[in-house]
Amino acid sequence: MNGPLGARILVIDDEPQIRKLLKVTLQAHQFELHECGDGEEGVIQASIVHPDLIILDLGLPGMSGMEVLRRIREWSQVPIIVLTAKDQEGDKIAALDAGADDYVTKPFGMGELVARIRVALRHVAKTTDEPILRFGSLTIDLAQRQVELEGALVKLTPTEYEMLKVLASNAGKIITQRQLLQQVWGGHHHESDSHYLRVYVGHLRKKLNEDPTNPRYIQTEPGIGYRFLLPAE
Amino acid sequence: MILSERIKKETQASHRKRVSAYVWVTLGVILLTLLLHAIGMSGDLVNVALVYLFPVLVSAVYWGMGPAIYAASFSVIMFDFFFVPPYLSFTVEDLRYLISFVVYLAVAILTASLAGRLRQQLEMVKAREATTNSLYALSRQMTAITDLNTLLVNIATQVSLTLGKPAAVYLPDGQGDLLVTSSPASTSEGEKDGWGDGESEIAIAKWVYHHGQIAGKGSSTLRESPGLYVPLRTEEQIHGVLAVSMNAGEVHEQQEQIRLLEACGGLAAGAIARVKLAEEARLAQITAESERIRTALLDSVSHELRTPLTAIIGSATGLLENDTLFTSEDRRELTGNIRDGALRMNRLVTNLLGMVRLESGMLQLNRKWCDVGDIISVVLTQVREFSPHRNIQVELPDEPAFIYGDEVLMEQVLVNIVSNAIKYSPDESLIVITVTSDKSSSQLTIRVADQGIGIPEAERIRIFDKFYRSESTQHVTGTGLGLAICKGIVEVHGGTIVAEANPGGGTRMRINIPMEAHGSRFPYSEQGEVED
Repeated sequence: MNGPLGARILVIDDEPQIRKLLKVTLQAHQFELHECGDGEEGVIQASIVHPDLIILDLGLPGMSGMEVLRRIREWSQVPIIVLTAKDQEGDKIAALDAGADDYVTKPFGMGELVARIRVALRHVAKTTDEPILRFGSLTIDLAQRQVELEGALVKLTPTEYEMLKVLASNAGKIITQRQLLQQVWGGHHHESDSHYLRVYVGHLRKKLNEDPTNPRYIQTEPGIGYRFLLPAE
Repeated sequence: MILSERIKKETQASHRKRVSAYVWVTLGVILLTLLLHAIGMSGDLVNVALVYLFPVLVSAVYWGMGPAIYAASFSVIMFDFFFVPPYLSFTVEDLRYLISFVVYLAVAILTASLAGRLRQQLEMVKAREATTNSLYALSRQMTAITDLNTLLVNIATQVSLTLGKPAAVYLPDGQGDLLVTSSPASTSEGEKDGWGDGESEIAIAKWVYHHGQIAGKGSSTLRESPGLYVPLRTEEQIHGVLAVSMNAGEVHEQQEQIRLLEACGGLAAGAIARVKLAEEARLAQITAESERIRTALLDSVSHELRTPLTAIIGSATGLLENDTLFTSEDRRELTGNIRDGALRMNRLVTNLLGMVRLESGMLQLNRKWCDVGDIISVVLTQVREFSPHRNIQVELPDEPAFIYGDEVLMEQVLVNIVSNAIKYSPDESLIVITVTSDKSSSQLTIRVADQGIGIPEAERIRIFDKFYRSESTQHVTGTGLGLAICKGIVEVHGGTIVAEANPGGGTRMRINIPMEAHGSRFPYSEQGEVED
């Protein structure tokens, strides 16, 4: 694996205009582009090309984007970013829970897409588990279960710590409410328990000295989940 | 009680009464004779004759002409037999007494006929009153109904109850056929239910409908048919036909019922005309409203789409065709122009789609407990991108405020409201977002106050109408959809949204949202964890 630079990206989208846009701009960002226009071919291409990342349109004619996602996930853990239309929160959540790594809503800005691609590729590239996560003045020591903010120890309850750990070790990636519930509470959770998440996220933000109107670390993705923000580079 | 049954019973009763009247008269006159004899008034013939007028008057008033004449005749016989010499004989000694008898009979008959007529009039008035009462009841019931089908069922039922016979109403269906609304099965006589939907009945009803004349039993046309059909007519047109199934009865009774049916028909026609007019007026209003909205939609959409499209196409073609002419600065400007135009079109499309989803009822609320502070932070992240020159302050309550709503839609509402505050206020001005919760009424209030141009009081309600743009803001681009969508979303959450004057100048939007769901507040329970 050669990191973000020069990574091989497969685009599965039926709209030639979107494919052209992605091809021109992503090649300018030094990515190697492969493209195809329908789902069935996309599944085949994914096994031939061996891409480092797949950009998949959920609204494909014929074999649906969701089906393509499931087929690929049967044998590959390649990062997949799905493209969706706005106001289809249900589709986004379904795709994320079915194994998509992130989503971008159409229409999207190029900066946003490239940032998502970088995050997704970075998570794959990371081979060794770092014992200490650093985000600006925030340090999370996974071995010691200790959180420090601006040099001072932050006291967290076990649940708060687990939540922060899940979010921070997936920094930059979206975590759906269901994924978060599952990873923090294990099997003992209910879909309707999602309001507890809000309470704990509220506590966590307070302890991390977050400005409630402009959070630095934990960003809410309305209706979908949370994203731990990477510090601006 | 059903009127015709009452009439029938009354006739039967009057038969019995008449027979007993003659018995009573006979008995009374005999008793009177005995009494007069006992007190020995046989000498005073004039008084005796006067006393004999009593039974005549009484029977005239109570039983009518027949018994009165009978009483007069019987009295004369008794008078002659017992009081006129020679006593206990029908022969008359003095022939002048015959004149007395004639005069007596004449007086008796005259009095009896007068009293009898009085009685008849009384009965007629009573019958009229009963008819009037039932018609009044009918009309009162009909004026309360606004739905045509309910009205037709009601007319058929009421007419059937009033006349004691199955009834049916026929109304044209727009294709030249008549639709039947039958009265429910008549309870009193156990008739087959749904009278009136047979082919022959519909054929007669059609004839009546087209000719506007009464037909059927008891009328001059088609008198051999078992039903009676009257047209439902108002001044200008015939609305339909009212029919009842008649059974064989007296001609006199039929005339009475035709009158009653015609009166019912008049009422029904009035009621049907009223409901139809109301319906037409409503349709006309809807048509006018949708016409207005269509025009506004076309104007707004064509303008709002064309302007950014012009900018995009112009900039893009310019860049493509004259690539060498432009400096890199120019090129940046033109591509920025393209981006802005596209973003503007995106907002329009989002709003149009939102409006369509709201209007078509396709909007499904995905309600969950959501933290209002959290929503506001998401909103601010969004608006900051296009409003670097505003000072936005947020005042949140100490405890997190939760509402049971659709996070994404509430975010859309607040993005619209805050964007408006930014759009209609000057650079570097202050925008204050305040969230307060009222524990007693379980209402959460979000206020967004700006220091912009403000909204004239007269327009504060209309700005929430679709495609309404304030006169004073015509120079600012917009579709007039944003606030209409906000209002729709807030209302499906059971809340309200109003525009107020900001005390320091500008506009203040106030949104009230209930904080309860299913009668309970946010289940805010700590799990009693301790920090490590």
